[in-house]
Amino acid sequence: MKYVDCFRFLAGRRTDELVITSAGNSGQAWWAATRDSERSFYLDASMSLSTMFASGLAAALPKKRIWAFMGDGAFCMNPGMLMVERQMNLPNLTHFLVSNRAYGATSNARLPNSTSNDYAAIARGCGLTRIHGFTNLAELERGFDAAVGKSATGHTMVVLEVEPFSDEEQKLEQPPFDGPEMKYRFARAIERETGVSVIGYRL
Amino acid sequence: MKRSETAKRIADELAECGVKLVASLPDNWISELITHLEGDARFTHVPVNREESAIGLCAGAYMGGQGSVALMGASGFMTCIYAITKINYSYEVPLLLLMTLRGSFGDHHKHHISNGLYLQPVLQAIDLPYTIVSRADELGAIGRAYRHSRTFSRPTAVLLARELLR
Repeated sequence: MKYVDCFRFLAGRRTDELVITSAGNSGQAWWAATRDSERSFYLDASMSLSTMFASGLAAALPKKRIWAFMGDGAFCMNPGMLMVERQMNLPNLTHFLVSNRAYGATSNARLPNSTSNDYAAIARGCGLTRIHGFTNLAELERGFDAAVGKSATGHTMVVLEVEPFSDEEQKLEQPPFDGPEMKYRFARAIERETGVSVIGYRL
Repeated sequence: MKRSETAKRIADELAECGVKLVASLPDNWISELITHLEGDARFTHVPVNREESAIGLCAGAYMGGQGSVALMGASGFMTCIYAITKINYSYEVPLLLLMTLRGSFGDHHKHHISNGLYLQPVLQAIDLPYTIVSRADELGAIGRAYRHSRTFSRPTAVLLARELLR
């Protein structure tokens, strides 16, 4: 499945979820699909930590549904994150593992053991039970509601098998925010939606 | 002061700050503290697989308005420079780090020589403000460090010395 087509589909089915993207291509693809600058946190500076960041957020905001994207390049750097996720077992967290079988952000450099890695099996080995995998858009369209829809609850991992970015797609715009602006936009959106105090003072 | 009493005092300081989430990876010097925090209903304790995961968890908790602390040994901190400088510095996300001052006087473990040599120089090199707590009557530094991290919008650290944790 084409990476950006997959993200455009997910963006179209998103309702009120907060979204965390990962280091790599997921920030570019999500920005291309949504242009969301408030309810998505583009955690570009974070190899392998987007779902840990999302877990902290999900634990702090149990009434909010959180989607976290992570490329398989980032995943390979810290697969033990799934042990922490399973232990926390946050019902409002969905971990999208975006598998392009390459280090996408570094010109699709080779990923170790790329063709053999079975991410769903790794997740099962860590004790996760809600694991879904999609290899094409038609499957994703059919299975989305059961996997990720509003009535689907429980800590969930979704493995999305996508094609690596083409040379043209590598030129997609990066989300154009300096770190502090990203923080403030996201924090203010959360403060408005939930009433919690993040920054510590209100405008 | 007994280690169990020290652990309780540290827990009280953290609770006073509003810390709810404790993400930890152990070091022998803080094993009793971690056990105490695990059983303290004021906190959700999350044992992590590696220290960088604690950095990510605490940053997310902050964005959700929840107080947190990353508790680790000095060696663990040394593995976190990437995560701290990327997440906390790039996005200006506050963080309280509690860590052991391994490799200091009184640490008989030769494998902590590197921490004795490089822990504080590394903290200084990345401009991460820190304070050393050696006695129980200095534990108020934990709250001051937590609040300063919020003012400073970056991490601060409290280094727990052998004398305190003995």
